[in-house]
Amino acid sequence: MKFINLNQTKQTKLVFDKPGDYTVFFYNLSGTFDFSIKASGVNLDILGLFVGIKSEKFQLKTNQYHMSPNSTSNLLIKGVFDHQSKFIYQGLIKIEKTGQKSHAYQKNKNLILSEKAYIDSKPFLEILADDVFCTHGSTTGKINEESIFYLKSRGLKQKEAKKLYVTGFVQEIIDKIRVNQPNFNLNI
Amino acid sequence: MSQQNLNFDYKFGFSMPEKNVFKAEKGLNGKTVSDISHMKKEPDWMREFRLKAYDSFKKRKMPKWGANLSKIDFDNIYYYIKPTEKQVNSWTDLPKEIKDTYDKIGVPEAEKNFLSGVSAQYESEVVYESINKELDKRGVIFCDMDTALKKYPKIIKEYFGTLISPHDNKFASLNSAVWSGGSFVYVPKGVKLPMPLQAYFRINAERFGQFERTLIIAEEGSFVHYIEGCTAPIYTTASLHSAVVEIFVKKGARVRYTTVQNWSHNIYNLVTKRSIVDEAGIMEWVDCNIGSGVTMKYPTVILKGRKSHGEVLSIAYAAKGQHQDAGAKIYHIGPDTTSRIISKSISKDGGRTSYRGLVQVSPGAKNSKIYVSCDALIMDKLSRSDTYPHMRINEKDCEVQHEATVEKLGEEKLFYLASRGIKKPEAESLLVNGFIEPVVKEIPLEYSIELNRLIRMEMSGSVG
Repeated sequence: MKFINLNQTKQTKLVFDKPGDYTVFFYNLSGTFDFSIKASGVNLDILGLFVGIKSEKFQLKTNQYHMSPNSTSNLLIKGVFDHQSKFIYQGLIKIEKTGQKSHAYQKNKNLILSEKAYIDSKPFLEILADDVFCTHGSTTGKINEESIFYLKSRGLKQKEAKKLYVTGFVQEIIDKIRVNQPNFNLNI
Repeated sequence: MSQQNLNFDYKFGFSMPEKNVFKAEKGLNGKTVSDISHMKKEPDWMREFRLKAYDSFKKRKMPKWGANLSKIDFDNIYYYIKPTEKQVNSWTDLPKEIKDTYDKIGVPEAEKNFLSGVSAQYESEVVYESINKELDKRGVIFCDMDTALKKYPKIIKEYFGTLISPHDNKFASLNSAVWSGGSFVYVPKGVKLPMPLQAYFRINAERFGQFERTLIIAEEGSFVHYIEGCTAPIYTTASLHSAVVEIFVKKGARVRYTTVQNWSHNIYNLVTKRSIVDEAGIMEWVDCNIGSGVTMKYPTVILKGRKSHGEVLSIAYAAKGQHQDAGAKIYHIGPDTTSRIISKSISKDGGRTSYRGLVQVSPGAKNSKIYVSCDALIMDKLSRSDTYPHMRINEKDCEVQHEATVEKLGEEKLFYLASRGIKKPEAESLLVNGFIEPVVKEIPLEYSIELNRLIRMEMSGSVG
């Protein structure tokens, strides 16, 4: 299991040419990131986290290129956006003809906290092989009022309830990393 | 509608071997555009509209995204052909050649069975049109666009080109400049049509571009289902089909627009379709793209009114040499608006299908809900499938969901069917028909049978 934190390694073009399990993580990074899978037996998790406040603007492009057969890539980008923050995301899964029996996933989940936040999401797929399984999903929404109502009925204040909700939303990413990196901590 | 109004005389025609009364010269220039307008005895505003559109068409560049359009040769297309001297309203009056074509594709049977009104388009004019008395009684107007311009100039002028401007895109400009034929539908307040309105469209001359123009207005609380079905014979050189469809859905009204498109594989099908929906109105596009070499079509719904709802259900099938670049666009402007996009695509023998869609939630579209689902099947190694969705969200109070899957036919399912003694091609067509079922069930029975047969034929080479 190899853990790569893009905030530390500053890489933008990653090539996976040896089989194995990899986890890539990044936090609040703008830019274009290429993940090229050039070996069979690669099992790649890509986890991205974004927290936007004030007038922060993130422009993210991710490309999952499957050039070799029998590999898996799984991308999850989660974002929480408050104030006038902006998130512009374009994700691509491209399975080349040589990438038979690939499994590729791409998911983008966003939480909007403010009227003025702006989200632009383009999850693309380009599939040139037939024996593959690819899915992508994108959801954008607000805080679930019912959850907040429940927490308030349990004695939490509005602000605390919201904080708990947002933390829980973000926690999914942290938890996925901690499976293999128990000491991983993100100070937001 | 009375017969007299359909019989306007044409003095300018001369007879061609193909029995075309008038065939504009190949290629396009300002003179062709005003000639078309003159030929049709149109009002000045329409001629100016055409000329302005032609200017835009010249200035506009070809779209750089989407399908490959580089092979279209605008100078090698007839922009206007008038097939017979006047419209005829009875089957026996039609010229023999035209009747033969129709016999082969079965218009009369279809009519006998259930059609409320058939508007059959042979080359660029509507030559055969039979309108049920029922429509008259209810005050519904259903006629071809050229007749509508003569009979209802006021209403046409009010709506024509207001939703899709003649400067919208290169192909909308082209259509606006040289449009001919198409349907006009007006449904008065509160009228709910129990039967669908149908128009058959055919292209029948080599190198001939068809530029029909359709306008549908559904007044408050009304309902109409409009169906266009297309089949075209095979030609040797590429043809262009570039239609414009504008639909106005007023308060509480509902419009469903169904297309079953099966042009021959050398046709470029580049269509602009758009609708705008007022409060509590419903707009549904059901779009089946089976034929044509290249399709670029993105039916659009603008949800302007509160509580309005938009839906785009589509099937795309691409075989060898075909590229179906289809999708949907939904703009949420009013609050409490909802929409649903369901797209199913199949690529086979080197075909390519692309879903290209846009969902926009504008500020103020509070409590809006959007669901998009795109499923693609790839049948073999040569084929390709793309998904290009775009979501622009500028409102906090909304829920947007998008999901897409790309896969091949399930081995286990094929194995199971094989164990039951079903041969592979049959099993494949069974599974493919099952895959598109959620959209097919929305289409009227006659069409869904046709579509299922078509898929079966495409999949196994035989209907049986």
